[in-house]
Amino acid sequence: MNSAVIEILAPRYQIAWYPWAVQYFFMIALAYASLWLALPGLLGAARWKATARFAMLGAMTTAIVAPIALLADLHQPLRFWHFYAYFTPWSWMSIGSLMLPPFVFAIIALAWLVWREPMLVWRQRGDLFGMIARLVTLGSWQTPRLLVVTLALATTALSLGIAVYTGSEVAIVKGRPLWNTVWLLPFFATTGLIGAGGLVLLLSRIAGPRDPDTARNMLWVVSAAAVATAGVALMWVLEGLYMENSSVAAALRSVRHSAEWRSTSAWGLGVGTALTLGCLLLLWRKPQRGWSWIVGLVALHLAWMARWVVLMDVQTVQKQTAGYLEYTVGWGSSGWLGVVGTFGLWIALILVIDMLVPWRGALGGTAADAPDTTPDYSAKGAASHG
Amino acid sequence: MDLARRMFMGQLARFTAGASLVPLATVAEAAINEQPPRRGGDPAKRYAMLIDLRRCIGCQACTVSCHLENDAPLGKFRTIVSQYEVDDPETGDMSTFFLPRLCNHCDNPPCVPVCPVQATYQQEDGIVVVDAERCVGCAYCVQACPYDARFINDKTQTADKCTFCTHRLEAGLLPACVESCVGGARIIGDLNDPESTISKMVAEHHGELKVLQPEKGTSPHVFYLGMDERFIDRPEAFASIWDIHGKDNEELHYEFSGH
Repeated sequence: MNSAVIEILAPRYQIAWYPWAVQYFFMIALAYASLWLALPGLLGAARWKATARFAMLGAMTTAIVAPIALLADLHQPLRFWHFYAYFTPWSWMSIGSLMLPPFVFAIIALAWLVWREPMLVWRQRGDLFGMIARLVTLGSWQTPRLLVVTLALATTALSLGIAVYTGSEVAIVKGRPLWNTVWLLPFFATTGLIGAGGLVLLLSRIAGPRDPDTARNMLWVVSAAAVATAGVALMWVLEGLYMENSSVAAALRSVRHSAEWRSTSAWGLGVGTALTLGCLLLLWRKPQRGWSWIVGLVALHLAWMARWVVLMDVQTVQKQTAGYLEYTVGWGSSGWLGVVGTFGLWIALILVIDMLVPWRGALGGTAADAPDTTPDYSAKGAASHG
Repeated sequence: MDLARRMFMGQLARFTAGASLVPLATVAEAAINEQPPRRGGDPAKRYAMLIDLRRCIGCQACTVSCHLENDAPLGKFRTIVSQYEVDDPETGDMSTFFLPRLCNHCDNPPCVPVCPVQATYQQEDGIVVVDAERCVGCAYCVQACPYDARFINDKTQTADKCTFCTHRLEAGLLPACVESCVGGARIIGDLNDPESTISKMVAEHHGELKVLQPEKGTSPHVFYLGMDERFIDRPEAFASIWDIHGKDNEELHYEFSGH
């Protein structure tokens, strides 16, 4: 440390991964974590079936949007086929490119298996929805339960691969010391679970029917994942204190010399604490659980922000020159337009599925009979699962 | 009969063992994130650069000639000379320190194994290059390089970097930066040739040579002579150029930084 060194001339190195990357890492984490939340219900746990219905909607839609955001982050998106023409087994990104399509297709297939059951009822309809149902269900055979269970387990195995590759891909980058830690893998997974839990809470509020089991399950999941995230962060810091760990050293340096990093850390810590306390409060005070959707929004914010800090803010720390890049997000497709566009596509996809698929009737749920009738919220979720 | 059978079984065993080994060998050319085999270039050579900082006057002739030679976009550089004001720890006097930066053509280049399509690779002569026709512009290599030697070229939308001007070396010319260096501070040559200038200088100054960020284990092949230890890692410096603000407190960018 020498304060008498003044940098007179140096280029300021720009970011190379745009907010598209945040959108990809956010969406793909929601996809695999939502699948994990759907798994107990898919395997037959009665009190998790309503959760599984919302989680499958979340998993399927995010799994479709995620690769689109990833493609957009390439500077040469039309060359995506090079990934498959020149497979490179020593590159985490190449390994990921091989894992991603089977995972996405498996989730789509799983959703199809789960949703075609309620769709069978619509085959009788004479309108457009009936025609789509007749096309999509591929015959009126009953979905074998064994097939759902097998595919659910296989997709979960693929999802573990996705979680490992997305974490490793970033964690092996020595060039950015803040990324270069093995704790990034569990951090992505636990914050992904926070987001997925939040998404289910939000979907159960706006898409209904509301379900008391889902609220309780998800409040537990979000609070446990928040505590786990804090544990991961603590382990990372402890490792830095007791062992040679440049990641922690770089983080401390960033926080010490930058007001923005200090406020970011404080915000993350504050939101995480508020989220955990909010979950516990709602678990304790059952009559107030109608407010769970706010917890859901905060959870989604935390999961998204975690990725923004890791992927965008870390890129503003200059590697070998002094200071920080004053990065401002542009309005174009490499900036806010990409962020808003991804979310817009996601919401559109949810709306299209909501219109064409009676997903509320999956896994023994009660479906609204017609797509143009308002769902009957008074049913308060399937009583049969209570 | 027995002999024939034994020979047949032996052949069969050899055949099946071979068949099982061949695909394994091609798949397992390198473990995850380890260096794949080098390809292309002259296997007899190992190019490297030695920069004699005592001779650098910070004129940026290398920066400009590289820009012209390699058609880099404005604001992005394959090589540039960073400039610092430093104090003398003993006398307290301020002096200027120049640090030319470029790709280090590492022996363990972290940018190579991350490339998902093998567009970036190391030649047998040690030079790290990018196949711009194959590059998908994922910028993973840009992130992986600890020296900021790589960037996405706005014109080609692919990764770009210093190549030691391989096209000039192949034609028997010196790289543009070496050719234009007025102080003769940049010396390029073949480390495998004991008679080359660089080999002789490396032998002569062995104990004084420094590389950037050696703790990263990249084994850089750009050696600095007359290096101030404070600049081996990211310097703890005051970034004065970026601290100039306008009357509305907006940062006054210099003309190239708006990318």
